[in-house]
Amino acid sequence: MNRRHFLRNSVPLAVTMPALVNGFTFTTNGAESPLARLLEQTFTDTDHVFVLVQLSGGNDGLNMIIPLDVYGNYYNARTNVAIPQSQVLRLDGTDKSGLHPAMTAMQNMFNEGKISIVQSVGYDNPNFSHFRATDFWNTADTRNNRRERVKTGWMGRYLQTEYPGYPDAFPTTSMPDPLAIQISNFPTQMVQGDIYSMGLSITNPEKIYTFANPFSDYPLNSAPANKELKFLRVVSEKTKIYSDIIRAAYQRAATMATYPTENGLAEQLKIVARLIKGGLKTRVYTVSMGGFDTHKKQVNASDTTTGTHAKLMKDLSGAISAFQDDLELMGLEERVMGMTYSEFGRRIKSNASRGTDHGAAAPLILFGKNAKKGILGTSPEIPSDIQVVNNIPFQYDFRSIYASVMEQWFCVKQPALDTIMLRNFQSLPLITGPCGVADDPDDTNNNAEKLILKMWPSPYTINATVQFSTTGGHTMIQQIDSLGRVVKVLTSQDYAAGTYNIDIYNDGLAAGVYFLRLQNKSLQKVISVMKMAE
Amino acid sequence: MDRRDFFKTANRTVRSKKNNGVSRKQLFAGLNPYSGTWTVNEVTHLLKRTMFGAKKADVDYFLGLSPDAAIDELLNTSFTPAPPLRDYGLLEDEGVFYDDLGVVIGQTWVNDPNIASDPVIRGSINGRRVESLKKWWTGLILNQQRSIQEKMVLFWHHHFSIQESEVSDAAMLYRHHNLLRTNAMGNFKTLVREVTIDPAMLIHLNGYLNSKQAPDENYARELQELFSVGRGNDSLYTEDDVIAAARVLTGWRITDIPLGVYLDTSAHDTTNKTFSAFYNNTSISGSTNPDQELDALMTMIFNTDEAARFICRKLYKWFVYYDITDTVEAEVIVPMATVLKNNNYDIKPALSVLFKSEHFFDVLNQACYIKTPFDMIVGTLREFNVSYPVYTDYTTGYPFFQQIYRQAAEMQQQLFQPPDVSGWPSYYQEPMHYELWVNSNSLPKRADYTDALVNDGVLDLRGFANYSANPADPNRLITDITALLLRYPLSTASKTYVKTRFLTNNTADDTIWTNAWNSNNNTVINASLRELFKFLMNLPEFHLC
Repeated sequence: MNRRHFLRNSVPLAVTMPALVNGFTFTTNGAESPLARLLEQTFTDTDHVFVLVQLSGGNDGLNMIIPLDVYGNYYNARTNVAIPQSQVLRLDGTDKSGLHPAMTAMQNMFNEGKISIVQSVGYDNPNFSHFRATDFWNTADTRNNRRERVKTGWMGRYLQTEYPGYPDAFPTTSMPDPLAIQISNFPTQMVQGDIYSMGLSITNPEKIYTFANPFSDYPLNSAPANKELKFLRVVSEKTKIYSDIIRAAYQRAATMATYPTENGLAEQLKIVARLIKGGLKTRVYTVSMGGFDTHKKQVNASDTTTGTHAKLMKDLSGAISAFQDDLELMGLEERVMGMTYSEFGRRIKSNASRGTDHGAAAPLILFGKNAKKGILGTSPEIPSDIQVVNNIPFQYDFRSIYASVMEQWFCVKQPALDTIMLRNFQSLPLITGPCGVADDPDDTNNNAEKLILKMWPSPYTINATVQFSTTGGHTMIQQIDSLGRVVKVLTSQDYAAGTYNIDIYNDGLAAGVYFLRLQNKSLQKVISVMKMAE
Repeated sequence: MDRRDFFKTANRTVRSKKNNGVSRKQLFAGLNPYSGTWTVNEVTHLLKRTMFGAKKADVDYFLGLSPDAAIDELLNTSFTPAPPLRDYGLLEDEGVFYDDLGVVIGQTWVNDPNIASDPVIRGSINGRRVESLKKWWTGLILNQQRSIQEKMVLFWHHHFSIQESEVSDAAMLYRHHNLLRTNAMGNFKTLVREVTIDPAMLIHLNGYLNSKQAPDENYARELQELFSVGRGNDSLYTEDDVIAAARVLTGWRITDIPLGVYLDTSAHDTTNKTFSAFYNNTSISGSTNPDQELDALMTMIFNTDEAARFICRKLYKWFVYYDITDTVEAEVIVPMATVLKNNNYDIKPALSVLFKSEHFFDVLNQACYIKTPFDMIVGTLREFNVSYPVYTDYTTGYPFFQQIYRQAAEMQQQLFQPPDVSGWPSYYQEPMHYELWVNSNSLPKRADYTDALVNDGVLDLRGFANYSANPADPNRLITDITALLLRYPLSTASKTYVKTRFLTNNTADDTIWTNAWNSNNNTVINASLRELFKFLMNLPEFHLC
């Protein structure tokens, strides 16, 4: 009997069943056992697959999703790399944003309802180091102090919650395949569990391992040496088992769509498509593209729609579109979706080398048949008197995206969701219905414009009043500096629906440009304000 | 005498201690001098831990010495290498070719400030210099003397853990590396003092930003937590100590040309600093003399017992095993730390007492160390006596050395890029430690590497077989080569399996191999040895040392 079915469907009477969890036998007493209850709430019967596409180096989000409604300020801020307004690819149903001209394939996907764009994704203390910021995205923990920051990855925590006892007790009949497969040289922190990595990294799915592991005796009378030898034998055995499984799945299936050539991402996604079609129950795949650290010459001087970044956008768009076609031809489009992400966006103002330096928030793209069509959030605030330090303040915390994927795609329920994500994050309307999560009436933030968020006087010096409205429930207002860091939380509590004022007196902040970010359930609103020196 | 028999007949007092569910019986817990046998087994154990791999020639050489003399030689041999050389030609940028005008090919760049060339190409020049530095270092590891020096240089790199991603400047990286190298077997206190004001470290942990106006605690914190007193149970320094140490270290700044450091007295906090009871309530008087406060800080830190114990624990994990039980702490770490402190932090006497101890040669401390990528790669090349160019050979040597460090990086040990400021987690991350080197990604890479060495004919397999006292006897051959190649022994049944499968054509007839060997049947011998050695190096046992 399938243990997960059993746990989910069992009547809450005292039934006794031995099960192997984390290598020890325990007895469930229906709903009376806290452990059983936790499992019941955690385990999910889904065959959903999530594909993470990492854009390494920091993708220039402003030239991927171009803000047409603030085009003047956009152009002014980065004239030498700006995409001409007339060449921006238009998207059905919106005139506020468009795509980079090289992304025609994704333009079609958007218009067919297979893409959801989320604007200005970031977090409260943006870090501009590739390594540190990548750690933040992988762990979903943005604490700067590495002692405080967890060592596990967000997907690692999910998978170890879902599959306790991995890898010792695996493969099992209900999970005969690797939990996560990374098409990479290294396992990354994203899939790291408390002790083991929950993922396998492969570069060649057809690789045959010839580990010689014929001996099972321990002739040395030494516990330390025997412990290490046993460990090596287990790793070698599991690697062999899983590599055979991967190879067999890969060879069972062939791609059905035409993928672009000379496109590294497409090559990786081809492998993923074949492994899914080949029958793997693997939950998570990661693929990656490098070259996004475009400090110089990201566009050609003669034509800003061409050059390094244009090639990256074309490859990204073409690869994901072909992958989606392939999934549809394979009949897998209901089971698979994915997401792009990058450790940070780039600076609003371009530099003199036709490039852009490290920045803060940036848009990300969810793709797949179940992605909720549209653009979540508004175009970023771009000051008309752009300064080199100005960054895009975040509208959405990247961990809200992760939490929403967990909730709406993997059907993870509370309290497991908060445990995996380390705390509670805002749920965003990203994925239509497979987990029975109710559609949000404030779909894609269209009602955000009805929310009031004002400050007077602006600029302010010592006294100011912030006025906001809320539809009720949890409401938060953060004040963010020009680097994109949250410097103050003006309020974060439950309110009855209505309009409220908060008075500010002598807030101790330095003079400069700030943003106020209002978050009310899934609604967001960001305005810029200015503080003057006394 | 067969090594296993030796283990069996060992008749010694057994004490037992439960730790993490693993019973680690300590036969010889303390630092009593070793007085046991001195055979291939003990010498190989010593060499695999203190060098990269145990070459047959080195094993034979040290067998000819007494254990004490062998360890003295390993600890006392020092060697000052010539610096890294420019090995790159013209560099291209947007179709234009530029030269490094500061230094010619084949000369060292370490004293050139990289300002002679066109600004557009200086970044690329710096990158090539960093590459040449890594090639050079790898060349030194491959061409190591009969000395512990290269293992110690890598240990200090693990300890101070400078990352190329934070400190990208080649001159600074070389200067830092040279500091580790010259002090590798020297005085720990001196090394910490020098690293504290080393340009690379000032960049790496923000010391160059530390000022009285805005104290930056980053280095002051790591100095205590990671570099000196550590975070052991008895290390009771306080958050205020971190702040006070940061204030002592305010004002150190870097000069680019020539590369150097100085104390900027305008940024230095000259008020007095007081420390907690852990540091005996020490007060350090403010001073504008560049040495005074720094020296006082070092004296204060190294007056603690924890400073000596912490580095001894790290050395123990690097050379012996990662499980520091209460018994090991009391009977190995504490006495070793006393030796270190009594010798005013000279490293050699402390290492000497460790390596000459019964504890180090304890059967239970053998074959329990998982080879690092460099142990595996360099050790294999050295043990098979592969000939490679000298470390100064920048034309044919450097490209070869580059392959080596890239291999190691693929297996997760990257020179100048340990994962974070704590170094490689294999030496501190509970509960797995050494086991972190091995996973479903790195293990196949190790197998691919040794397979390729055999398939490509890099290894002299016949030469290795000839290390056997009688290679014509398949039993003797298997026993002898596995004793050299594997620290974890194969059982008699396993040896028979190996012999039958690879040497006697799946029969019990030993003469099949003996005849092939004696008639010098190259086809049979070479094919058999290829499959035999690939098999042995694919065994989990191979990764233990």
